[in-house]
Amino acid sequence: MNIYLVALLRILAALGLMLLNGVVLIYMLRKVLGYLHVRLGPMELGPHGMFQTLADVLKLLTKEDPTPTHVDRALYFLAPGIVFVPSLMAYAAIPFTGTWVIADLDLGLLYTFAIMSLLPLGLVAAGWSSANKWSLIGGMRSVAQQVSYEVPLLMAALSPVMIAGSLNLADIARAQSAVWFWLPCLPAFLLFMIAGLVEANQTPFDMSEAESELVAGFATEYASMKFGLLFLSEFSNTFIFSSLLVTLFLGGWQVPFVPVDAMGGWAAVVFLIKVYLVIFVLMWIRGTLPRVRIDQLLAMGWKVLLPASIVWVMLTGAAVKLWPMVFGGVR
Amino acid sequence: MSWFGSGILTGLRITMRNMLRGPITVQYPHERLEIPERARWAVEMKPDEDGNHKCTGCLACEKACPDFIIKIDVTTAEDRSKHIDHWHYELGACMMCGLCVEACPFDAIRMGHDYELARTDVSELQYDLLTDVAAVQPKRKAAVERPGAERQAPTDASQAPTDASRAATDALEAETRSPEGSEQS
Repeated sequence: MNIYLVALLRILAALGLMLLNGVVLIYMLRKVLGYLHVRLGPMELGPHGMFQTLADVLKLLTKEDPTPTHVDRALYFLAPGIVFVPSLMAYAAIPFTGTWVIADLDLGLLYTFAIMSLLPLGLVAAGWSSANKWSLIGGMRSVAQQVSYEVPLLMAALSPVMIAGSLNLADIARAQSAVWFWLPCLPAFLLFMIAGLVEANQTPFDMSEAESELVAGFATEYASMKFGLLFLSEFSNTFIFSSLLVTLFLGGWQVPFVPVDAMGGWAAVVFLIKVYLVIFVLMWIRGTLPRVRIDQLLAMGWKVLLPASIVWVMLTGAAVKLWPMVFGGVR
Repeated sequence: MSWFGSGILTGLRITMRNMLRGPITVQYPHERLEIPERARWAVEMKPDEDGNHKCTGCLACEKACPDFIIKIDVTTAEDRSKHIDHWHYELGACMMCGLCVEACPFDAIRMGHDYELARTDVSELQYDLLTDVAAVQPKRKAAVERPGAERQAPTDASQAPTDASRAATDALEAETRSPEGSEQS
């Protein structure tokens, strides 16, 4: 088949996955938060409110899209795109199974982090161009927190990389056939979880859109599908972060005691189930913990997470080097 | 002494417990809660066993109403029988205190259980509970047949029902006999 056609189909698959994931996650978020609060969530449209999200998408698409007077027009229209495109591109390296991956990159992890670190640019552009104090504060906060937590996130991701000896996400997942990395790298797992919550803008750390303080943060002045794009990328980031967590620490598509060859196509299903379980845990945390203050967040990032992650990287490096010396040539 | 981070785990445990408890929401338009028996919403007529109203047009409720929202237009005929032209009740100003129900000597009104009282137009809050009907002739109550009263005056007690039936036919006569009746009870 034509190589460009294949590439186009893969991009379309990623886009479809992203949109579908957004629809599913919005419904899931409402339902999970509802049940955590002893409520029901949406119930009216369709069985158990299943079509509520579709109705909301239709609403977003058909809504009036007013442009505030003093916005920086170029950036204002560009910002949702700048936010949306990286979160779409980040799907490229995620290995759903050993073979099901949109682009099998040797530097997959690095690529994903590089792409995801473009996001704050879009967010600060959205916040700045909106000519609104809430938006600006939200945009600045998002940059502050994402820059601070990028470092512990990368450091925490380094220990699986060092053990697996590869930056290819599929290889890292394959290296966990004996033991999933969350067990030997428990501190890294926790660090990655916390830093990932910040990166994915999840509630205990969603400083950039803190509803109670900033209306909707960088998204305040956006309406209609521009707002939709901003939020779609938010949900998609949650998915990407969860799939990174699953790939790095929770064994990717593998199930204990089941050989990978026996799973066949089900491996992708296993991967998705794991991802959505992680997302459920994120929502559980979201439904439980109150939002921290921005200074507490940054202080924790620089004073606790960063030193802890550096120490853990050193320990992992020493262990990876010492293990073969002590126990003799396991790897 | 709690260790670092235990508060977070406690919180997570509590929310998970709530989640497993299941929702307690009553989905109002589809499901409704039982209303307590003594709940008070809009005033309505309390029908007797045959479904007829019991209002005598005595205006006790109108006098008792602190909001002046009950207005009964009564026409008295020459034979002193009463005719209720309108039993006007303004729901919009009613505070559902229930004083009219307490004031009613004939147990003719009650606080209803219909709580879906929202209307799209203010004029719909003006209720006409009775329109152009004859008022009930007030019946004198028979002497209450308590065991003690029976022992003291058995003859009076046995006469009482006949008294009452005659009173039903003639309101005027009943009024004259009322002090006697209250003495008996």
